[in-house]
Amino acid sequence: MYGEFDLTLPQTLQEAVKALNAAGKDAVPLAGGTNVLIDLRSQRLVPKQIMDLGRVPGLRGIVVEGGRVTLGARTTVSDLLASPDIARCGPALVQAATVFAGQMVRNTATVAGNIACGSPAADLVPPLLSLDAEVTLTSTRGSRTVALCDYYTGYKADARAPDELITAISWPVPEANTFGTFYKLARRKGDAITVNGVAVSIGISDGRCVRARIALGSVAPIPMRACNAESLLEGQVLTPERIAAAAKAAAEECSPIDDVRATGAYRRRMVEVLVARLVENAVQAMT
Amino acid sequence: MTVSDVNETQPNLRFSQIGKPLTRTDSPGKATGRTPYAGDYVMPGMLHAKVVRADIASARLKRLDVSKARALPGVVCVLTAQDMPDRTIATDIPGQTGRAKLKTDQQILVKERVRYFGEPLALIAAETPDIAEQARRLIEFELEPIPGVYDPEEAMKPGAPIVQGTDNIVATHKIRKGDLEAGFAAADVIIENTYITPFQEHAFLEPEVGLAWIDENEVITIRVCTQVIEHFRAVADAVGVPHNKLRVMGAMVGGGFGGKEDVTVETYLAILAQKTRKPVRLEFTREDSFLGHGKRHPIKLKYRTGVTRDGKITALDVQVLADAGAYVYLSPYVLLYCAVNAPGPYRVDNLNVFAQAVATNNMFSSAFRGFGGIQAAAAYEQQMDEAANAIGMDRIEFRRRNYLKTGDPISTGFVPPSAIWTEKCVDLAWQALGEPTPSKGPIKIGRGIAASQQSYGRLTFLHDTSEAWVGIEMDGTVTVRSGVTDIGAGQASSLAQIAAEIIGVTLPNVNVYNSDSQVTPLAGTSTASRALYMTGNAARLAAQAVRDRLAVVAAELLKAEPAQISMEFNQVFVTDDPSRAMDIADLVKVCASRGVHRSELAIFRAPFTDVLDPETGQGQAHPDYAYGAQAIEVAVDIETGEVTVLKCIAAHDVGQCINRAAVDGQIHGGTQNGLGYALSEEMLYKEGRLITPSFSEYLMPTAMDMPHVETIILESRSGLGPFGAKGIGEPAMTPVAPAVANAIADAIGVRVFEMPITPERIWRALEAARG
Ligand SMILES: Cc1cc2nc3c(=O)[nH]c(=O)nc-3n(C[C@H](O)[C@H](O)[C@H](O)COP(=O)(O)OP(=O)(O)OC[C@H]3O[C@@H](n4cnc5c(N)ncnc54)[C@H](O)[C@@H]3O)c2cc1C
Repeated sequence: MYGEFDLTLPQTLQEAVKALNAAGKDAVPLAGGTNVLIDLRSQRLVPKQIMDLGRVPGLRGIVVEGGRVTLGARTTVSDLLASPDIARCGPALVQAATVFAGQMVRNTATVAGNIACGSPAADLVPPLLSLDAEVTLTSTRGSRTVALCDYYTGYKADARAPDELITAISWPVPEANTFGTFYKLARRKGDAITVNGVAVSIGISDGRCVRARIALGSVAPIPMRACNAESLLEGQVLTPERIAAAAKAAAEECSPIDDVRATGAYRRRMVEVLVARLVENAVQAMT
Repeated sequence: MTVSDVNETQPNLRFSQIGKPLTRTDSPGKATGRTPYAGDYVMPGMLHAKVVRADIASARLKRLDVSKARALPGVVCVLTAQDMPDRTIATDIPGQTGRAKLKTDQQILVKERVRYFGEPLALIAAETPDIAEQARRLIEFELEPIPGVYDPEEAMKPGAPIVQGTDNIVATHKIRKGDLEAGFAAADVIIENTYITPFQEHAFLEPEVGLAWIDENEVITIRVCTQVIEHFRAVADAVGVPHNKLRVMGAMVGGGFGGKEDVTVETYLAILAQKTRKPVRLEFTREDSFLGHGKRHPIKLKYRTGVTRDGKITALDVQVLADAGAYVYLSPYVLLYCAVNAPGPYRVDNLNVFAQAVATNNMFSSAFRGFGGIQAAAAYEQQMDEAANAIGMDRIEFRRRNYLKTGDPISTGFVPPSAIWTEKCVDLAWQALGEPTPSKGPIKIGRGIAASQQSYGRLTFLHDTSEAWVGIEMDGTVTVRSGVTDIGAGQASSLAQIAAEIIGVTLPNVNVYNSDSQVTPLAGTSTASRALYMTGNAARLAAQAVRDRLAVVAAELLKAEPAQISMEFNQVFVTDDPSRAMDIADLVKVCASRGVHRSELAIFRAPFTDVLDPETGQGQAHPDYAYGAQAIEVAVDIETGEVTVLKCIAAHDVGQCINRAAVDGQIHGGTQNGLGYALSEEMLYKEGRLITPSFSEYLMPTAMDMPHVETIILESRSGLGPFGAKGIGEPAMTPVAPAVANAIADAIGVRVFEMPITPERIWRALEAARG
């Protein structure tokens, strides 16, 4: 059962941010609704106003221009899967989209919704972190960009002001000698909440690692970068020992908890296994 | 499906309808969405009901204030235990004759003591669902926690909080035969292990729903999704009306699996309709459904097996401990199935089984496809592999040396009357796995086999009967009337197919009226893999009687003997001279004009026995047993513990297919159910509180998780059902989980003794093995 709320249907971005500015914390933006509707039904969320972004033009689409990939906030998970540009410029994102929910949810769930829901298990976030994505936030005051790695400030807390909307997500087109990949460890293969999500983006030049991004989901209050592990790899020759050391560092810098899906101990160990595996895969793919 | 194997002794048997993969009579309506389910029925002016539930598992109800809810405009009625102080509801199997009922009557609403999380406190009926929901939130209650007990072992200790009876023990069964000591003395190796199985949720597509009203004859009438319309007696007793003034009508059911075997919404609906005298609808949300019906019993099974080096089982000692949860329900019977099946399809002459079910403040457990036999199979088939490994013998060869053969007695000393084709099932399933998939890096491949024994038909001391009426109209169409509920397995369609075969009309010419406790002849439950066996036989008898009378008239008209008459595809003809023929419709018209009785009401009786000997468990428990096997190949990632089921073969002797496509469907569904049981499904309770309250925590296999399922259907034509059929609803699931467990153990070299076998449990077992 849903509580009562006002529904606003802004027709333009300007209308949307104006309305949001007026309503502030009382308004909840609605994209695909695959989180919002569930929270409404369980009354975890009892908003005064719901603002459906479905009629705002220009919020959905994928553009590659000037060395950057830009996604509109309402780009859906299915859109990612159908895009040759994403296949080229964000293969880890495609892998995450492939194991994301089921077909019906993929058709409506959006990238911005996944980022904004703040879940540590949000599957698109580790790949986007590994790609150095930025989030564009827009309000009546204008637009600003925040690096995704700075976006989350704590468990379900983020840098977005109540009157801001996420309008775009973008990242630089990866260099030719980089390899990105994502793995979702879960209790079943379809439609499962992630136990461990790991994305890596590794660049190798002249036999040395010139870029290392390791992003982890479901093992900390927020999706996180394993920066210690990254710094153990960058500038180095990626020997098995080095990779193992970095994987160990990643396992040490995360802070997983016990829940119904898995214990923290298992998750921590799986970070080590999966980071090592994914980095090794990357090295193999490039040599 | 691939192989079909027909009993060599009846090579000339020919059917026109039976055994074919015909389109079931219920398929078109389901495929087009036209079939109404219980939730689709509405009535003008109907009210909407809600159940208010306790949110602590063990507590005393200190205060329950419904005044604000009653005052809310649009609320018609709010009921608490105060409003019906003496009302209780039986949770026993209904319709049994010849035996005293178990003492399982239960409070309908909490009077004082809350025994489980979700136990109902109050009922609401309001003009709209929204108002009912608002009223629910206005009800204030205060629960004072009292010490509870959440583990059967704890519940048996002296001083444990008492949930039921005087000592929490709700059932004990013993089976003893031969000389256990001598058996173990004769063994070269003794293998001892404990296997643990979880709470499992039925998770049918259609949560519980019903609509009740009072009809023109003052009959409380309930349209409800249920496996058992014959709870009408228990519900009538609960609301204090005579049995002929309460009517339960089924509808096509969106899955039951045992979860709609007990009373669910019926009592609440009857009480509210009686009180308000208005139609009342109650639909459980998924959350209600998870809290509202019993689960599969978690069972701890301790197996001690003595074997000789040449692979003979010399002794078996089994200790069974089941968590019955907060109320008795069907625990004693479930436990009995577990005890009887403890050795599985193997001959064990020196046997001891000691089984107990114990009450706790967990969710009550009750019927679920496999009914105790599944938990036994999970243990005995893993133990068979452990024993084979212990003596270094091939797993299949070890089984071969111990199979029960046709004519051998099972654990209770009873000799099943039908064929036991375990060996054929195992060999065909194992062969069908084909070439092994190679292991690669951390991905290890393993294979598992499991054979199974599962009864069909209810416990014979329950004196089960089933009735069906068959009649033929003057246009040659046939009507079947029978109370059987159709829970999605094609129960009604099978009756149509049986009548069509015998009377010689085509399937679309048969219509079945079913599932009405006052209007259709009572047929018993759609549980225990019994509907086809029992009601199918009743329909067969009734159809045969009608056919025999028609044949006498046909013989006269076609100038032949009745024995020379054939009826097929709406025609009647002389078997050796088909040119002498007429339409069945014309024959029926002649019969009608002569006053020939064109219908028959038949009753079929299962074997009636006394209970098993209480000390030795010897005697007959079930009418008969079905045997089958599952072969599985898995890939296990030994670093993460993830499992992928690569190959999945099911081989079952179904006796005789009535509808081959329906049999195939049961086996596919049973496989899915069993894979979930083995790998991911687990209802978790913390101090009795459900901590897996939705499908994001309770994980059934999805399409992404399902392997291709290959079915091998064998037909021994030896079963007690119509045309030699056995049951397949439950047997389809029984061997699945242990086959998976055995495949995983084969892949990784260690065993996970607790189901579901999650990635983390595999990882832990490997860690422990690495030391
Ligand atoms: C069955 C099922 C399976 C699922 N499986 C997965 C899975 O495998 N992996 C996974 O990561 N998630 C999964 N989810 C969760 C969910 O689908 C995702 O988080 C999805 O990306 C949310 O997107 P949405 O468009 O539906 O967001 P909504 O529900 O519309 O919104 C989610 C949150 O984001 C906010 N929001 C949305 N758009 C904006 C915006 N432009 N600016 C600011 N705030 C905004 C909303 O206010 C809300 O707080 C699943 C959900 C369901 C129901």
